[in-house]
Amino acid sequence: MNPFTEPIGVTHYLCVGAVLMVCGMLCMFTKRNALGVLMGIELVLNAANVNLVAFGSSWLRADAARSIALDGQLLAMFVIVLAAAEAAVALAIVLCYYNTQATVDVDKASKLKG
Amino acid sequence: MADSLRWLPLLLELAWLLPLGSFVLIVFFGPLMGKGGRGAGWLATAAIMCSFVLSIAAATVWLSEHPLVHSSARDGSEHDCGASADEHCPAVAHKRAVPAAIFVERYVLAQFDQLRLSVAYWIDALTVAMFCMVTLVASCIHVYSTGYMHEELHEVTDQQVRTADGTALRRPGRYCRFFQYLSLFCFSMLGLVLAGNLAMVFAFWELVGICSYLLIGFYFERRSASLAANKAFIVNRVGDFGMLVGLMAAWSGFGTLALGDTTDAQGRLVQRGIFSQVRPAEADYRLTVPDGMVRMAAAEEISAMVANAHARRPAGEQGQFVEQHKATVDQWQSAEQQSAAAARWQSSEQPKAAAAQRWSVERRQPAAEAQVADRLPWWRSQGYGYWLLVIAGLGLFCGCVGKSAQFPLMVWLPDAMEGPTPVSALIHAATMVAAGVYLVARLYPMFAPEVLLVIACIGCLTLFIAATIAITATDIKRVLAYSTVSQLGYMMFALGVGGWLAGLFHLFTHAFFKALLFLCSGSVIHACGTNDMTQMGGLRRKMPWTAYTMLVGCLAICGAGVPLVVGLSGYYSKDAILAQALSFRAANPAWGGIVVVAFLGAGITAFYMFRMWLMTFAGQPRDKHIYQHAHESPLVMVGPLVVLAILAVVSGWPVPGTALSLESLLEQARPAGAAAGLDQGVLVAGLVIPDEHLSHENPVFHTSAALTAFAVSLLGVLLAAVFYGLPWLDPQVIRRAFAPIYSLLVNKWWLDEIYHYMLVAPTLRLSQLAAWLDRRAIDWLADGLARATALVAQLDDRFDRLVVDRAIDHAADWTYAFGLRLRRVQTGNIRQYLMVLAAGTVALFLLVSWFWR
Amino acid sequence: MEAINWHSVFFYLFAALACGAAAAVVLCGNIVRMAFALVAALGAVAGLFFLAGADFLGALQLLVYVGGTMVLLVFGVMLTSHSPLFALRSGAGHWIAAVVIGACLLTVLLRAALAANAWASPPPPQQLPPRLQPTTSQIGLALLGVRTDKLDRPDPVLQKGMCGYLLPFEIASVHLLVVLIGAMFLARTKRRMAATGSGSNSSQSIPRQLEIGNANRPHDAQNPTCTPPGE
Repeated sequence: MNPFTEPIGVTHYLCVGAVLMVCGMLCMFTKRNALGVLMGIELVLNAANVNLVAFGSSWLRADAARSIALDGQLLAMFVIVLAAAEAAVALAIVLCYYNTQATVDVDKASKLKG
Repeated sequence: MADSLRWLPLLLELAWLLPLGSFVLIVFFGPLMGKGGRGAGWLATAAIMCSFVLSIAAATVWLSEHPLVHSSARDGSEHDCGASADEHCPAVAHKRAVPAAIFVERYVLAQFDQLRLSVAYWIDALTVAMFCMVTLVASCIHVYSTGYMHEELHEVTDQQVRTADGTALRRPGRYCRFFQYLSLFCFSMLGLVLAGNLAMVFAFWELVGICSYLLIGFYFERRSASLAANKAFIVNRVGDFGMLVGLMAAWSGFGTLALGDTTDAQGRLVQRGIFSQVRPAEADYRLTVPDGMVRMAAAEEISAMVANAHARRPAGEQGQFVEQHKATVDQWQSAEQQSAAAARWQSSEQPKAAAAQRWSVERRQPAAEAQVADRLPWWRSQGYGYWLLVIAGLGLFCGCVGKSAQFPLMVWLPDAMEGPTPVSALIHAATMVAAGVYLVARLYPMFAPEVLLVIACIGCLTLFIAATIAITATDIKRVLAYSTVSQLGYMMFALGVGGWLAGLFHLFTHAFFKALLFLCSGSVIHACGTNDMTQMGGLRRKMPWTAYTMLVGCLAICGAGVPLVVGLSGYYSKDAILAQALSFRAANPAWGGIVVVAFLGAGITAFYMFRMWLMTFAGQPRDKHIYQHAHESPLVMVGPLVVLAILAVVSGWPVPGTALSLESLLEQARPAGAAAGLDQGVLVAGLVIPDEHLSHENPVFHTSAALTAFAVSLLGVLLAAVFYGLPWLDPQVIRRAFAPIYSLLVNKWWLDEIYHYMLVAPTLRLSQLAAWLDRRAIDWLADGLARATALVAQLDDRFDRLVVDRAIDHAADWTYAFGLRLRRVQTGNIRQYLMVLAAGTVALFLLVSWFWR
Repeated sequence: MEAINWHSVFFYLFAALACGAAAAVVLCGNIVRMAFALVAALGAVAGLFFLAGADFLGALQLLVYVGGTMVLLVFGVMLTSHSPLFALRSGAGHWIAAVVIGACLLTVLLRAALAANAWASPPPPQQLPPRLQPTTSQIGLALLGVRTDKLDRPDPVLQKGMCGYLLPFEIASVHLLVVLIGAMFLARTKRRMAATGSGSNSSQSIPRQLEIGNANRPHDAQNPTCTPPGE
């Protein structure tokens, strides 16, 4: 069965989303650099966007009438906007942290530990 | 009620409440009134004088509605009023009429089923007269007190009280307090006189008692004064116990404590009062045992009747015994043959049954009740419940015995001399002791002949014992105190032998001359600084006003006068008593002995009164020092003496040209049917209380009484003159000749000692035993219990420490250690958190998919 | 032999690019490389959006993410990049734990993705719309509160074109404004302190900075920048 001749479904997108998600999570798990963690967050948000767009797309499923239609794209749009805002604030915090602590190592930011 | 009579309760109410207002004002503002509270005296005096004026106004109102008839024309044309309640009816000729009286319920405090506790007034001629007398005498005493008590205006040095360092006690003056007590005293007495039900009587009765306690103990730093106050109070408690018994008997028997009939706004009868129950008009005002007492006495017969009525009732017949109907109705319903009857009963009887269930056994059974009502007259004629009436009467009299210092309870009155002299005058003349006599007179209709006989005997015994003790007393106030006791005995005696008017008449005349005598003695004491007559003598030259007004008092108390023509006030009242006594003797020869004692008492009275006067004012001074310092009292003290002396002379006389006299005024209040020779003794066979009119109408009694009393009194005066005035005979010789009798008398018949050994000492011993038991047994038990408790507590404490505390400490330690360990979980490492978060998400997902299959 | 579905081909192309770039982000140690790998991944995702018919969203992704957010990120990287910070590496234990948890998560997600049959069955090619329908105007109307894509649904509310996103749109705009101010505030105050501190020495320490902060106080006092309250 040739994958290139078969049409693409929601599941394919979901799989891509899952991979992106896991990559983002791994990025967050393993990066000590605060900016790396931020990038992981961006990946995770994008994975969610992929899923939302896939759910709302009328090309990817047979029963398109039951899809969430444009809602997916609108939600994804809000996610992008929020991600941009989050990135701005997070970067400001990182800069702040860097200015006071002279490092961007998140492992060092453990002053409030128990 | 006539229009003007409508004002009567208001006038008397004002007269009654004015002293209370004065009391309240002095309590709060007394010390602010002038220097040392001088204004308090004027305020109290003004209040009581206003009361007097109001009382006179009330008397005028009363007399304008009830014109007096001359006492000699009393027989058939007596003035009369119909109902005893609010209604005043025009005169109706009747031999034994209900006296004119007003019964007003001002305010109902509480109502318990049938018992109404209310502020009620019973106003009749006696009330009005008492108001006038009490306020007049009290006014004189108030005026006198403003002079007598002036020492209390500033700091007082009491030589009779030594402080711990041996110096005389110095204390601030208590002028205000004295007058505030006096005002309260007057208020209480007036309230007692005005009271329209026995509950109110009792309340003011006790108020009078507490006032006397406060005033007798006025110099409470003196041990003797505080003991005397305690004695007066405790002895009165003994009497009041009897009174409470009487009150309870009266309440249970009459079902009410009101003296008059209670009516509602429309004038309909709500509840019959004591007087109309015990002397119902239907029975021609004969003494009638009230239904309640008959029922109580016939309780067994009534329950038997109820049981019979119950047993006789046919099954289907309509309601006789509701209880049984209710109990058996279920059976009837199940039994088919009687279902018709049951239905009939249910339809007709059910509502009635519900209503009747609240009532007593008799009321639940109309048929039985009818039978009982039929039998009541028969039971009454058989004497059922009579003893209950006797007990009620005796109980109430018991209270009077305590208050009026009659024979067994007379010991407190002489000791009460510890109070200031004006107080003694007030107690002896107008308020405290008069209360007992007044109450006997007020409740006269409900006393059975047997009770009256007891009253007569007690009075007779009292008058004789007190008179004999007075012979040997040397304290001027004690002589007067025993004289009071003796005269109160006379009054009781008079009331007991049927002389209702005579007893009350003597109460009034005695009030005037005894107040006079006490105030005179106060003047003497004020002048000499001592009570002891053996240190006086010849004082008439120093203080003539006191001496001669006192002589008037002595003559009045002796009953001096020209026999059958004219005399001082005491002449008339004592004459009336003795005439009634003779009448009683004629009717009851078996009890004639007590009459002899009464005559003997008259002689002794004359003897000791003149002994006192002669020792004090005549002869040579026995103590030069005291004599030289003696002086006449100031005008505020002499003025009342003169007023009272005039009253002591004239209070027995009618107002010239009119029928107005004290006697005829009191005659208006004579209780219907009482002492009218109607009542025969039931428990004492043949006892007759003769009609008082007989002794007036029969010249034999009157003449013989007057002549004999005059002779006996003259003999007493002569004897006194022989011993003390013209010292022909030395009293010492007589004293030695009759040594045992003298020691009996000088020791007051050993009454105090007898009480001490019979009552006080056993009580003390009992309490010592109780104390010993307390210490040995109960304390031991209590200590043991305490020790056991302590032991248990220690064990408990150990358990607490070893088990509970340790457990809690362990739990706390463990929690702390756990927290320490748990703290390490919070590493502050964000990536770790994220990993845990993801792992948690996965775990959650697995869990959900596992259970959501 | 069926015809090659170019839609699918491009999907696989972009999917592979996205996944590969994402994996590169994870695996790269250098923060700058990570940033460029991320740009690639986000760009590939934008391609996927186009393939799903979301043209406006794809453009937005390219503009905002690749053009904006990434510039911001790179800017941040450059601000904070000093030689010792490049070699921030996690230990092996962390890596193992991360991979285990990541594998579990991937399993769970893939299972979920493959579980629903409705999603797994793509429409037959003949049902596909013949050409790309632009969604820009639809999204614009939706943001203004009017929905045009669900007029055929039975719900009467939807048939009236309601159920738009006007309120979230407004909230998002206010949110952006607040974020803008907040980020500016956060970065600005500290930057001044950092600027004075970084001028003297590259290896700063906290006490040193506090000293500098204290040293600046008199200067502040001479030139009061604080405005009286209420103005």
